[in-house]
Amino acid sequence: MSKEEEFQKLYEEWRRKTEELIAKFPERKEEFLTSSGIPVELLYLPDQLDQDYVERLGFPGQYPFTRGIHPTMYRARQWTMRQYAGFGSAEETNKRFHYLLQQGQTGLSVAFDLPTQIGYDSDDPMARGEVGKVGVAIDSLEDMETLLAGIPLDKVSTSMTINAPASILLAMYIAVAEKQGVPSQKLSGTIQNDILKEYIARGTYIFPPQPSMRLITDIFAYCAEHVPKWNTISISGYHIREAGATAVQELAFMMANAISYVEAALEAGLDIDQFAPRLAFFFNAHNHFFEEIAKFRAGRRIWAKLMKERFGAKKEKSWQLRFHTQTGGSTLTAQQPDNNIVRVTIQALSAVLGGTQSLHTNSRDEALALPTEESARIALRTQQIIAYESGVGDTVDPLGGSYYVEALTDKIEEEVYRYLEKIEQLGGAVKAIEQGYVQREIHKAAYEAQQRVESGEDIIVGLNKFQIDDEPQPEILRVDPKLGEKQKEKLNRLRANRNAAKVEQTLTRLREGARGTENLMPLILDAVRAYATIGEICNVLRQEFGEYQG
Amino acid sequence: METIRVLIAKPGLDGHDRGALVIAQALRDQGMEVIYTGLRQSPEQIVASAIQEDVDCIGLSCLSGAHNELFPEVVRLLQEQGADDMLVIGGGVIPAEDIPYLESQGIARVFTPGTPTKDIADFIRFALKERKGEQQVAPPKKIAHIGIAVKSIEEALPFYQQQLGLPLEGIETVESEQVRVAFLKAGETRLELLESLSPDGPIAKYIANKGEGIHHLALEVEDIEDRLKQLKENGVQLIHEQPKEGAHAAQIAFLHPKATGGVLLELCQYAQETEGD
Repeated sequence: MSKEEEFQKLYEEWRRKTEELIAKFPERKEEFLTSSGIPVELLYLPDQLDQDYVERLGFPGQYPFTRGIHPTMYRARQWTMRQYAGFGSAEETNKRFHYLLQQGQTGLSVAFDLPTQIGYDSDDPMARGEVGKVGVAIDSLEDMETLLAGIPLDKVSTSMTINAPASILLAMYIAVAEKQGVPSQKLSGTIQNDILKEYIARGTYIFPPQPSMRLITDIFAYCAEHVPKWNTISISGYHIREAGATAVQELAFMMANAISYVEAALEAGLDIDQFAPRLAFFFNAHNHFFEEIAKFRAGRRIWAKLMKERFGAKKEKSWQLRFHTQTGGSTLTAQQPDNNIVRVTIQALSAVLGGTQSLHTNSRDEALALPTEESARIALRTQQIIAYESGVGDTVDPLGGSYYVEALTDKIEEEVYRYLEKIEQLGGAVKAIEQGYVQREIHKAAYEAQQRVESGEDIIVGLNKFQIDDEPQPEILRVDPKLGEKQKEKLNRLRANRNAAKVEQTLTRLREGARGTENLMPLILDAVRAYATIGEICNVLRQEFGEYQG
Repeated sequence: METIRVLIAKPGLDGHDRGALVIAQALRDQGMEVIYTGLRQSPEQIVASAIQEDVDCIGLSCLSGAHNELFPEVVRLLQEQGADDMLVIGGGVIPAEDIPYLESQGIARVFTPGTPTKDIADFIRFALKERKGEQQVAPPKKIAHIGIAVKSIEEALPFYQQQLGLPLEGIETVESEQVRVAFLKAGETRLELLESLSPDGPIAKYIANKGEGIHHLALEVEDIEDRLKQLKENGVQLIHEQPKEGAHAAQIAFLHPKATGGVLLELCQYAQETEGD
């Protein structure tokens, strides 16, 4: 058989499998047409398939997944529209969730306040001024019950931005589901659970790296058995980018962290094909449209190669980089905030053209405060317009084969490998972070970017060019300043009414567990069920593990 | 001058320190000594560090919305400990409506996203000098003249001489600027009528774009070279970095209208006192 015939055969095989898949899971429409009535094909290919094409791009849903992880992508199902939301009390956030679901959002994404994310109760002195500010305040299972009231947890998937205390919040979620009569096997969602990027970019760490890695692998192991549909980590380039990294650095450092998680899990004795399919990724999308698209495509190819060739994963699912994207918060300007709607549109479009599985579009007022309900709605509508009006999802990987996009994809891949080699030389991501290497690279990029803006080399509309005088200030959302007090009262009532002996007993068990090597998830789950607070649980772990000093 | 010492601090739990780090670096590049506290500092810790490090200025950065509680607390603790001569500035995601409150609580200035880092450095220098009661910059002596672009001196002169009664001091040609100028004395200042010598001269272009009218304001200063040096160091956009010869044998230099709020400003220094010559 000639090479040409061989490639043709590969394609025919893919075509046949895809048709079988479509028979089982039909596409959104019988026929996709442009506005002029021109039929849109599922996939466009070069006239002549060659070795280079097959190796570098392949077919969608096939190794190395450059063109997407599903053969039909958005032809079958739109991406999940998952807006990150949460502020104030559990009651208020619950209302916002119901509103967003009613507006057509298809998944929840919970923002927790900083005390919750750093494992402090709302009445802790460290929580002063922060309760309910950047997310919802959750102190105990009681708050979680309120947060999720009336939301069917077997039907909605939930993403939780929680890292250091991820096991506690996941335990609360499981406990609420139990009360709703939903077994944990049916739960789907994601916990961010990516501690390494906290040390380098986001700052909401609690424990030192080693025990933090243990908590993560405990979650991997527990979920593989008990919560099989849960994404046990979302390895985040997002915050790395927000801290000032370039697109290449975002991808490189997230990949370096991902390698560390895989290695930690392997060292803990887990089977790669059991946990790898539950690893998810979280990207940023900034304004440089084509570079962003190329970044997503390169990311898929790099991950597939790493998993198959380096870690020897056997399952196709283990090779697939599945990701959520959020548009770039730091690209938004406080000046002329409505312009941010346009920035978000461009960024969201790059994520869709790059093949994201779910998407959060930022609100126009986020450089000023948390989004108002109106801004949050416009942000969601932006995705809906891309999904339902633009037709960009009517063919798979529409930019595949673009000379420019393919060249950028290759170049980004190459530069990412260069960083990965450097980090390997330093002894891996944890070591590179401990030595401050990654942080320094990011800060250098951030400073250079600022200088380019100040010199006018980089133009930011409304900020260093096209400014207007006397800008009207938009309405912004304000969190009830009394919330801290209310939350404290609630906490006091809880402490008075719960079974104190039971709390004490579960915390003691947790302490013993932390000293040994057993999986901590079941112990945390018991403490949560007894209404131990997040501060109480974290304090036990702080005493046993110590605190990380940034 | 002594080196300015600045403490950059992150009060509260917010871990986003890109802005704080960029500003710390920028202030260092501006010649200041900068100490960065790291994340999650309580107001008590920040004030203790500031006193211990004997800084001139504290920069607080917060993106989580806790600023209204945490920033004023820093100022209060400074007062309590008798260290309220320290300048406190703030930045981060801070809604415009909170700024008057923060300023009323003793935060000298709040810088929101998009502020050029140089503006922050300039503000710190300015405010610290002001606190010490130091004169910032000596004012110019007076308005030396107001330059008015005209198509023809001969056509314009009769109005100023006959209708306003301004005495003509003289007419001279400044080849370097391709102009002919007429000086009319008006009290302690002068009006300067400018006529282009060639159709491509700066005055001809000015008239083509904007029509006849006020072209520039000239301020008389003591030491023009020193002024230009200072302005340049402070990043003020200049048209001439070195003084050149102008009319009346004066040393002159123009500042860019971008730096002055849209007015073309000339600095000039005369060889001797201009009164009564």
